[in-house]
Amino acid sequence: MLKSLNFQDLRKKAGSAIDHRVRIITAGMGLDELRAVVRGDPPTEKPNPRYKVHTTSFLFHIRPRYYEKGSTILSHTFRLGFFTAFFFFLELFTGLILMVYYTPSPGAAYQSILELESNVFFGQLMRDMHRLGAEAMVIFTALHMLRTYLTGSYKKDRSFTWLTGVILLGITLGLSFSGYLLPWDQLAYWAVTIGTSMAEAAPIFGEQVNLLLRGAPDIGAGGLLRFYLGHVVLFPLLAVLVISIHYYKVSREHGISLPAKYEEGNVSAEVKKNAKSRLDFIPDLLSHEVFLTTLGLLAVVAGIVALGYSAPLESHANPQQTPLDTKAPWYFWWLQGMLKLGDKSVMGIILPTILVLVLLAVPYIDRNPHRSLFKRPWAVSIGILSVILLIVLSYMGLPTYGIEMPAATRIIQDVAPEEGPGPLYEVPFDQLQPGVYAVSENPPDELCPQIDFGCPVFTEVFHGYNDDVIHASTAEGLEPYQQLPNAEAVMVVEDWQNDLRKVTMRITWDDVESGESTTYEKHVFIHRNSGGE
Amino acid sequence: MTDKPDQLAEKRLPINRREFLNLAWLASLGFLTLDIAGVGYLFAMPIFKEGEFGGVVNVGTVSDLPPAGSPPANYPKVKVWLSNTDQGAVALYKVCTHLGCLYNWNNQEGKFICPCHGSQFTAEGEYIQGPAPRSLDKFAISAVNPQTGEVLAGPTPGPLPLDGLPSDALIQIDTGDKTQGAPKS
Repeated sequence: MLKSLNFQDLRKKAGSAIDHRVRIITAGMGLDELRAVVRGDPPTEKPNPRYKVHTTSFLFHIRPRYYEKGSTILSHTFRLGFFTAFFFFLELFTGLILMVYYTPSPGAAYQSILELESNVFFGQLMRDMHRLGAEAMVIFTALHMLRTYLTGSYKKDRSFTWLTGVILLGITLGLSFSGYLLPWDQLAYWAVTIGTSMAEAAPIFGEQVNLLLRGAPDIGAGGLLRFYLGHVVLFPLLAVLVISIHYYKVSREHGISLPAKYEEGNVSAEVKKNAKSRLDFIPDLLSHEVFLTTLGLLAVVAGIVALGYSAPLESHANPQQTPLDTKAPWYFWWLQGMLKLGDKSVMGIILPTILVLVLLAVPYIDRNPHRSLFKRPWAVSIGILSVILLIVLSYMGLPTYGIEMPAATRIIQDVAPEEGPGPLYEVPFDQLQPGVYAVSENPPDELCPQIDFGCPVFTEVFHGYNDDVIHASTAEGLEPYQQLPNAEAVMVVEDWQNDLRKVTMRITWDDVESGESTTYEKHVFIHRNSGGE
Repeated sequence: MTDKPDQLAEKRLPINRREFLNLAWLASLGFLTLDIAGVGYLFAMPIFKEGEFGGVVNVGTVSDLPPAGSPPANYPKVKVWLSNTDQGAVALYKVCTHLGCLYNWNNQEGKFICPCHGSQFTAEGEYIQGPAPRSLDKFAISAVNPQTGEVLAGPTPGPLPLDGLPSDALIQIDTGDKTQGAPKS
């Protein structure tokens, strides 16, 4: 009896029982092994228990056992694929939280966003993170694709991976665009109206597609619900499915591509061997991923808190009134630019479809076996040209390009836009001194000398307005619609109510064609709490 | 090299009963998928009710209309600009033919201008300039005797001449009958 209660023996037994339990939970690693991992020691047993985890645990089964050392060089991947996935999971997480407060109906959606921003702890932060994450996900998807293209990583074994990647690009845009409508503000409503109208350009079935998307001839309750369900169910499910396929190919089949110089460059066998040596997932890649995740979270929060990114929210959607300068989301500006160039169905549907097909087929078109930049002059120059073309087209998609907005409307819209931020709205309320300020060749350097510190912000805004009017009135070589002959203009600030001021901008000029005196004016109301700080 | 396909062809076995039945089974699965797609399409396709947008709307009598040559009148509920021109009345669908924004009447310039991409149209809905592919779409418009319901003029997509119509005749717009504007030349 006493013998069986030997203290040493008991300790050994307990130790091995605990070790056994730990092995079951970690799917292969015992206590000694865990300690070795933390200490940075090599595996304690053979076969390597760290690889056993990848066989027995589901979550580790879909992760790689190791990557080749050379493929993990930062300047080769820039971790772009990792961050794309990171933002996807950030979107899932913040999106789930936002869903708690969001109601997908035209009567309640906007209200629920206001509620979220003003009356929920960290509500605004969650929405900003969700929006910033969405923009970042689009950017990182595109950059990841560009990197893959430039390093020639889509060749041979990886051609199908590239194909799933292009599908993921489409899904990412779908996710982002379907979320655009949900706040139900003017920005959302009209950007999505424009976006779905592009679908209408498709020959034969265009109108049907548009009806299916909108649920009615115009976007309404049905359309909002459709976009919502697409955003929270359909696209995320598709994304999880395709990401799994895409990622499994990388993690379990072909790994991350080695930089071209190790594969076909003139390097010694030893360097090559070193580049192909293994960097194990446990613990090296895993701890690096944890580090990148926290870095990503820090960057997103810093972007919001320190750099001041905030998700835009305009006034409530009004299906009866299209605001000036309405545009599609920025990642569709290239499409808008193309639409300005020609026929809607050629530019809006046929060319983009060809583009997508070419993108899908890149690995099958490009038969050049080399991966080094210098051995693929055609592929690289086409890639760079496409990027430049995309940027130029995006610029042409801006509302300031190629749209003949009458000068007076343009000038006042620039000072005080119908929707969104504008210089006048940034002026601190106290600097907005009541008075009549007339546009002249030599405007005063300081608009309100009666205040001790003057009104620098307001003065700057007024000078911008002043210079624009003088330019349109006197400059040579302007198009007729840009001219304001004999222009006279004022900006009037009145006290309207307690803490509410009315700003009137009025421009009078002689019409270019008829010579008649013409007036354009606009009133803006600014409340003490609505303006700049 | 060249005789390989022949070898393959020789080796190819004739279709047997199981293969045929399996292929028929796969084909029927294909038809089932098509069925489901068709049902899904019909299920998701919205249906419009009479009287809503898409139905016939009274916009008032002839005497209610703004005089010829005056700025067009806005009928927000039915998405129509009613323009009374020298040739008669036209009911313009107030959605720009470009990308679906709502264009507005610009009184200074005397034309419709779309705020999104700057397409411009005359009061009659004719294309002037901008990225729009065609002139504005028009709804069929008709004049009806208010007592008997007898159709006095129209329905026509073009201008409905108002001369000779009694001043109490009802003007009706059929928002289900849309005619596309002429493509720009």
